[in-house]
Amino acid sequence: MSRSEQLVEPQGEVEDVIETDSLVEEVSIDGMCGVY
Amino acid sequence: MSSIDPDTAWQLHPQVSVRPEPFGALLYHFGTRKLSFLKDRTLLTVVEGLADASSARAACAAAGVSPEHVPTYLRALGTLVESKMLVERAA
Repeated sequence: MSRSEQLVEPQGEVEDVIETDSLVEEVSIDGMCGVY
Repeated sequence: MSSIDPDTAWQLHPQVSVRPEPFGALLYHFGTRKLSFLKDRTLLTVVEGLADASSARAACAAAGVSPEHVPTYLRALGTLVESKMLVERAA
C-alpha cells in the first residue's frame, strides 16, 4: 500500500454521547471539529 | 439518575444558547462545550417557559403537558440539570 493509499485516522474524537433520555440527547464536543 | 425539584424555579444557564429546530431544539453550553438535543417541541416550550414559571411543574402545565406525561418531562429537565444546562433560579 502506497503512502497515499493509507487510511488516515480522524484527528480527535468527534463527539461522545454522554447521556440519553427519551427526550434529550447530549454530546460533548472535544475534537477540532465534528459531525454528529 | 437525574432529578429535578419540580417545585423549584429553574432557568437556562446564562451561557446556554438555544436554537429551535423542526425536531425540537439544540442547546449549546459555551462553558462546558456540551450540546443537547431536545427531541420534542413541547420540551422546548417547557424549557423556554421556565424563566417565567414559578416551578418546573408550572412550566410543564403552562406548556400544555398533560398530568400523565409530566414525569417524563421532569425526567428530561433533570437530564438538563445534570449537564448544567438548567440552573436553579432565585425566587
